[in-house]
Amino acid sequence: MIEPMIEHLGWLVILPLVASLAALALFWMLPNWSRPGIYFAVTVPPEFRETPEGRQILRRYRVQVTAHVAIGFAWPSLIVGIVWVAFGPLVSLLMARERVMPHAVKPSMVREAVLAPRAAHLPGGWLLQLGPFAILAATAIWLHLHWSEIPDRFPVHWGIDGRPNGWSVRTPAGVYGPLVFGASIIAGMAVLTYGILRHTRVQRAPGSGSVHLDFPHQVAYFLVAVEFFLAACMSAVALLPLTSNPGIALVLILTVLLLAAIFPLAHWLNKSRAPFADAHPLDLAGDGTLDEHWKMGVIYFNPEDPALFVEKRFGIGYTLNFGHASSWLILALVGVLPLVLLLALRHS
Amino acid sequence: MANAPILRVDLASPCPVYEQIVSGIRALLVSGAFEAGQQLPTVRQLAVDLGVHHNTVAEAYRVLAEEGWLDLRRGRGAVVLERQGPRPSPEARQGFARRLEELVAKAIADGVPRAGIAGRMAALAKKIESGGVR
Repeated sequence: MIEPMIEHLGWLVILPLVASLAALALFWMLPNWSRPGIYFAVTVPPEFRETPEGRQILRRYRVQVTAHVAIGFAWPSLIVGIVWVAFGPLVSLLMARERVMPHAVKPSMVREAVLAPRAAHLPGGWLLQLGPFAILAATAIWLHLHWSEIPDRFPVHWGIDGRPNGWSVRTPAGVYGPLVFGASIIAGMAVLTYGILRHTRVQRAPGSGSVHLDFPHQVAYFLVAVEFFLAACMSAVALLPLTSNPGIALVLILTVLLLAAIFPLAHWLNKSRAPFADAHPLDLAGDGTLDEHWKMGVIYFNPEDPALFVEKRFGIGYTLNFGHASSWLILALVGVLPLVLLLALRHS
Repeated sequence: MANAPILRVDLASPCPVYEQIVSGIRALLVSGAFEAGQQLPTVRQLAVDLGVHHNTVAEAYRVLAEEGWLDLRRGRGAVVLERQGPRPSPEARQGFARRLEELVAKAIADGVPRAGIAGRMAALAKKIESGGVR
């Protein structure tokens, strides 16, 4: 009796510790993952981050983030601790942004475009895009062939103590639900990938001789890799009725592996949008958008900008231009539809 | 793609953006940067890359099409045409001479050295005579 309790207590410490360390590393690195002319989501000269003011803002931000994560980890209530770790650093991020704003500069209004049609093919073509769906379909066929081996009632969720606390029944919705849910998320991600390739501005440092096409394509490849990872995860979930409890250790190992992959990937993606060696420093301030169109440095709203997707200012990747009605439609399709589907499946 | 011609516009310039697009593409067309049959980016793509309204780019393409540089067939985008130079009207000749004089006067007023202007014009004249400018 004592041994399992000690074991569970160990997990109770290890899991939050890993999550807290991951959050700390993420928020610690976040200011580094941006274009040279963007600092805490504000347009600045590229050299600003190396000035004493720039370094001091970063130092202060990191001290605050560390304090928030430490408080969140040490808080006796798990829920309050999670909320603190998630939102405390966000407040620090916004405070750092406020400190950078007095140093903001007007970005260059010179725009350059490549006068050639742009290939917006999905990475690897349609065949690679079908890969995640093929994994889900193969799992569905496997489940169909082993239908009689599925128990009438089977666990689908386990508590921190390793005991099941969520159950499902052998119905089409109960068995195939995770696969349908996974397919809807992956379809949404494929739409996003296509949108990023077709409806983003190709960033090109004015005055340089080469074209900066790498970043959207690399982000697209990253999204396809995530689609495969999701397909594998949802297949593993769907196969739970035929397998035993995956064990908390496996979940932890997968989480650590995923987190370990994120940081080098983020570094690789960020490197691809580094400035060209021959670009003029004055042209490097900003990212082709104006600060006034960014709400809290996170939400981009500019009906005058025809781009549907723009580069994020916090972190790596793209965000929607909420100044267009079609962006809200995409958000509904990609974000809300899977949730509605999940609720419908649970209800059925 | 890496060697594709580059169009540059200044959104802060008092000169309307569509005129900058027309002038920029026309200069590239005249210098022989494009082959006949070559495709230009779609109106949507160019508008997204420059961060301007679709109508601005559509208007610029329309002007270039009227001048005989582009073919704007639906579904094909903008395709560069093999352009036969039209016979210039007396108005066009006079207009060119006047604009050239105005341009030189403005450059001198802005402090560009006279020798520099003359040298640049001589180089341009040489390029035109050798067929480097169509």
